[in-house]
Amino acid sequence: MAINFKSLTYIYDEGMPYAHKALDDINLSLIEGKITAIIGQTGSGKSTLVEHLNALLLPSFGSLEILDRTIVAKQKNTGLKALRKEVGLVFQFSEYQLFEETILKDVAFGPKNYGASEQEAIQKAKEALKLVGIEEKYYDISPLDVSGGQKRRIAIAGILALEPKILVLDEPTAGLDPKGASEMINIFINLNKQKNTTIIIVSHDNEMVYNFADNTVLMDHGKVIFNGLTLDLFNNKELSDKYNLLKPKIVLFKELLTKNGFKIDPNIRTIEELSKYLAKEINKK
Amino acid sequence: MCYSNTFSKVVYNRIVMSFIEVKDLCFSYVEDNLVLDNLSFNIEKGTYTCIIGHNGSGKSTLAKLIAGLLEAKSGSIKIDGLEVNATNIHSIRSKLGIVFQNPDNQFIGSTVRDDIAFGLENKQIKREEMDDIINKYAKEVGVLDFLDKEPTALSGGQKQRVAIAGVLAMNPEIIIFDEATSMLDPKGKSDIKKLMSLLSDTKKYTIISITHDIEEVLLSDNCLVLNKGKVYAYSKAKDVFNNAEELRKIDLDIPFSLKVKEAFNKQHIKLKSNDLEGMAKELWQLTSNH
Repeated sequence: MAINFKSLTYIYDEGMPYAHKALDDINLSLIEGKITAIIGQTGSGKSTLVEHLNALLLPSFGSLEILDRTIVAKQKNTGLKALRKEVGLVFQFSEYQLFEETILKDVAFGPKNYGASEQEAIQKAKEALKLVGIEEKYYDISPLDVSGGQKRRIAIAGILALEPKILVLDEPTAGLDPKGASEMINIFINLNKQKNTTIIIVSHDNEMVYNFADNTVLMDHGKVIFNGLTLDLFNNKELSDKYNLLKPKIVLFKELLTKNGFKIDPNIRTIEELSKYLAKEINKK
Repeated sequence: MCYSNTFSKVVYNRIVMSFIEVKDLCFSYVEDNLVLDNLSFNIEKGTYTCIIGHNGSGKSTLAKLIAGLLEAKSGSIKIDGLEVNATNIHSIRSKLGIVFQNPDNQFIGSTVRDDIAFGLENKQIKREEMDDIINKYAKEVGVLDFLDKEPTALSGGQKQRVAIAGVLAMNPEIIIFDEATSMLDPKGKSDIKKLMSLLSDTKKYTIISITHDIEEVLLSDNCLVLNKGKVYAYSKAKDVFNNAEELRKIDLDIPFSLKVKEAFNKQHIKLKSNDLEGMAKELWQLTSNH
């Protein structure tokens, strides 16, 4: 199964003097069950693209096929509420959206809103909070009284409580400290492995993208420049130079080694793999 | 050397008095939960100091105390000999500017020019002088071409530059950057870091940067590591990573180049260089030496 964008164009303020084409005739297929990163400079259309996935934005032209549904431009599309439950969208700085009296109530809000009973909603909320590593002792305190990293996790739990098939996250690690960021990423990797949840992440952090995204989509000025394996994108010198991709440091180091004469296995992703590989090469001689 | 007693005392005082002196500082938001616990350290004039520590270590609280936005529970902070308290707050604030994390929360003008002018207007600077000052600092931070643009037309990095120009226009001695690059995209981040380095090179400003960006530490003079409200380490920036294990214990990251060195160390390959280029060369030499 795949998510298919077909000749999809999105124009902000269509027909107005300030009309702005944010997505320009996008044809894109995203594979379900994978972790896909969407990268590109600020203003390239990343957020606009993912906001189509749960029909928060509807296409100006073209269509989107997602989870047995087709959303077509300028038609009355039904069943969007159900789609929004199945495609969970976590905004940038999602912690600003917490509002309930207690953490447990905040997370239970989503399921209740979709018709779950009080008891069911609480149950779902507890499961979701467990997934993001928020302990029971926090349940009854205000979501506004915890640290920034915890708030972010609570906001994500609010979406996870809906048990989405597709989880879309816009810059989920921005502003978190390195430990907080890597814990966050591990939550997504586990969801993907254990529940086969499709993970789509908008990110500026190419180090992180290189480390864990199966596939990467590179956007520029509302167009898709690349869609494929993450390793293939960053190993493609021509593309990464042309679009000024900030290369992960490990890629830069691999390039330096190649310049000195080494032949480096393109599948190496981490320093550990690299050091072991080179130790072998050196001892061979 | 022989000085009369009084004279040597004066000299002594001059030498020991640091520009920013923090002594036995304690602070808590709620009772019995010290966010800063007996903190003491000094910062010298014209230096660039990074303050690192994970979320909740007390970094931002410390910055707010230095700026007089919060009041210490006990202990003291002195800036240029003046204690930060209600009496001195106006003289302290005139010496100090802050650049905050979120570029959207600190843009108050309707255009770039208005935004930079805001502080100057408060200071009742004459119109003619104001134009010169705005142009000077807009040029220094690289926003001269956007003076008449609205904030919505600017990227995050550009907005942060405007915030910096606004701070510089007030002629501060101290600039505090409170995670000023953490919400920016990679280009914005690297632009602002370059600008901070340039400002530091002028030696005109004492720069304090609260940051999560371990690579930024390598650009600064000194690094203060906070953990659970206490000083965990305070040293020259280049030395702070010498004891990587100690930093890992408190969940802090170390720069990439050091990680490379460590990984090869584990494979019994000892690298002498500290930069990636040098390491790549060394490794290649190892293959050809055999």
